[in-house]
Amino acid sequence: MKHLPISAIVVVVVVAGIIAHPSTRAPGALSEAEGQAPAPAGIPERTRDNDGQSRVEQVNVGGTPRISAADAAKPVPRLPDGRVDLTGPWVGGGSNADIERDGGLKPGELPLLPWAQKLRDSRKAENEPYTACLPMSVPRVNPYPWKFAMTYTSRGLTHIYVLHETGDAGAHRVIYMDGRQHPPDALPTWWGHSIGSWDGDTLVVDTVGYNDKFWFDARGTPHTEQLHTVERWTRVNFGTMINDFLLDDPGAFSRPVRLRFTAMHVRPDLDLMEFICLEDNQYGAAGGFTPAQPDREPVAAGR
Amino acid sequence: MRTKLGLVVAVSLIAAPVLAHHGFDTEYDAAKKVKLQGVIKQVSWTNPHMRVYIDVTDASGTVTTWNMEMTSPNSVQRQGWGRNSLLPGEKVIFEGYGGKVVESRGSLARIAKADAPDKALFVQGGPESAAQGYPQP
Repeated sequence: MKHLPISAIVVVVVVAGIIAHPSTRAPGALSEAEGQAPAPAGIPERTRDNDGQSRVEQVNVGGTPRISAADAAKPVPRLPDGRVDLTGPWVGGGSNADIERDGGLKPGELPLLPWAQKLRDSRKAENEPYTACLPMSVPRVNPYPWKFAMTYTSRGLTHIYVLHETGDAGAHRVIYMDGRQHPPDALPTWWGHSIGSWDGDTLVVDTVGYNDKFWFDARGTPHTEQLHTVERWTRVNFGTMINDFLLDDPGAFSRPVRLRFTAMHVRPDLDLMEFICLEDNQYGAAGGFTPAQPDREPVAAGR
Repeated sequence: MRTKLGLVVAVSLIAAPVLAHHGFDTEYDAAKKVKLQGVIKQVSWTNPHMRVYIDVTDASGTVTTWNMEMTSPNSVQRQGWGRNSLLPGEKVIFEGYGGKVVESRGSLARIAKADAPDKALFVQGGPESAAQGYPQP
């Protein structure tokens, strides 16, 4: 069976005893019935209902409901100027628990240099920067929505902003579409400096200038400030977008490596919601520790 | 990918190697499974993860406030919860896994109102939470 990234899968856990309601459906269930029922624009009727139990239709946890299979197969939409519309929102399309596996490689295929492999294997999950509400950066995603905000100015499509519900730590990623080049000696940042261009309907994003503070995955796969990524985003139908990802970091990898991720469109009535990570982050309290800060984690080894 | 994805695929993912994510193994102990009855003290709609504070009275009359962690308010809302889904003062039956160091800080596995125990309001389960290292119900 073809290996599918876990983040691309939704399983509906139907709990026995959920009250059947005339408008109840199973959002995210990849069934013919779900594909035929149009998703509501919002859920206004249900918010007037004081009984939470009758509104709970699906109780899978951690993920975001995806579009139905029938709707996903529809054609790629276009913007008014004929440009392909990559907006989304999407779920998936990057690494999460394990960049090697999530990116389609077999165990051990990721060409990490020995020092980087050793660092990855020594890292502890509780020191993951993301748990301290710091950015996940590229190509990390988690099962929450994100979108390409294609921004038009008087000069046309000059910027694409990547907005992520979680994992951006309140920041955003900007892809410059105005033809500029990378600055010659940029200070490293969490999201780097991205310039984008079109290869037909494929968005090509070239990024340098990353800092080395984020982790590629929950395993702690590291990188250096030499990281250079090239993403090729192709929307193959309404509901599916492929990320053909080139990872080039001679500081931590023995050669450039190509990975492949798949993003799925969210259920049509959903959009990004507010997420203020720092308002009540109690991560660690149950386990007797506090989230790590980036400067505590030495990454200089091996450079 | 565009064909109907049924239980066959789901089962194969559950069987796939699971890497512990920060969500569970760093803080909670799968061996400390609890099932308790209590009264909602507070429902905290905060990020990054919602919490439900539940007062549990033991046989001797001592009250412990259990701090049970759910998922993000956004994901819980997407499952149909609204601000009135669970309110202070309501009696509930809940299951979860206690914290490694502070046992009364737990990961919520399931919660239902005491007068409707078969109708779960929240269940921690599914392949995505399996990928995050959560024990499966």
